[in-house]
Amino acid sequence: METLPFFEWLDTSLLASIAKSNGGVFAVVQMFHLLGMAMLGGMVLLGDLRLLGILMRDIPSATVIDNTHRWFGYGLALTLISGIFMASAVAMKLYYNEAFWAKMTGLGIGILFVYCVRRPLLSFEHSSINPWAMRCLAGTSMVLWFTVAASGRWIGFS
Amino acid sequence: MNELLLALARWLDSHSLSTQLHESFYMYNWVESTHVLTLMLFLGMLIIIDLRMLGWIFPTVPASHIAERLDKPMLIGMAIMFITGFALYYAIPERTTQSIWFRIKVVLLIAASINAILFRARMRDSSASWDTDLKPPNNIRFAAAASLTLWAGVVITGRTIAYDWFDCHKELPAFMYWAAGCVDQLAASRGVE
Repeated sequence: METLPFFEWLDTSLLASIAKSNGGVFAVVQMFHLLGMAMLGGMVLLGDLRLLGILMRDIPSATVIDNTHRWFGYGLALTLISGIFMASAVAMKLYYNEAFWAKMTGLGIGILFVYCVRRPLLSFEHSSINPWAMRCLAGTSMVLWFTVAASGRWIGFS
Repeated sequence: MNELLLALARWLDSHSLSTQLHESFYMYNWVESTHVLTLMLFLGMLIIIDLRMLGWIFPTVPASHIAERLDKPMLIGMAIMFITGFALYYAIPERTTQSIWFRIKVVLLIAASINAILFRARMRDSSASWDTDLKPPNNIRFAAAASLTLWAGVVITGRTIAYDWFDCHKELPAFMYWAAGCVDQLAASRGVE
């Protein structure tokens, strides 16, 4: 699939002209992106560390998962919306940036993982799930989202 | 005060380790990435505690449980942020000292810390009476909102250090030179008058 035309279109879109001509607006949006990342990452960490039995052991894991999942969604929405705006400002740079594609791949897998694997699996009674499956689930989730955040930060360096 | 801070920064800048860290592409970027990614641990846990104090998350779990269980991971995150944050300052001491954003960040950091200390004390004294309430009392909720706002400010001003809008080499009003600690530029602008 050839995605270059999309990036060329994004680069000349109205969103891009707003983002490019207002350095201050870009910076503000970037801050929301960071705050969204903290929220998303915090929810992933708390949920997964509970599944691993490291944090909040005295609170039922289903309670922790339910509460963190909702706020994970808010964090994801915040980073996605702010991320699209930021991407429009540097669309052509991103198209040729390896870290960006690593991040997008990780993000796609991460979203599928959360909504097609982790959430459906954890809607079962947790005690009925094989403990090792739980641990693998938690480990995979943390590694995935760490990769997304780390490659995201690396876009700025490369 | 500004002169003293600048002298300290120039002294740190003269260290070869400072230069090495600044000029090492991978080392500097790893430290900086660790600093940013640890936000997920430190700020993530903090957000969860504050959201509970606002009554927006974990309504069925006592507030003190959330605060106690998440205290340790949050403090671990804070320690990592402090260490990497100092390393980042150490790598680029002079420009950071003269950054208006860095200065605002330090002020907000102090304000957020005072709020956190007061908040903890208040919670310890009164949590028995509202621990299981879905919505904690107004003063607790106010402190939680203040905490979120102040820490968001710390993150925001931390991010803007990277922007050069108000760097000393720019043409700025004398007040900004003073606030950012641009000692030489301030003296020069006074000399012109």
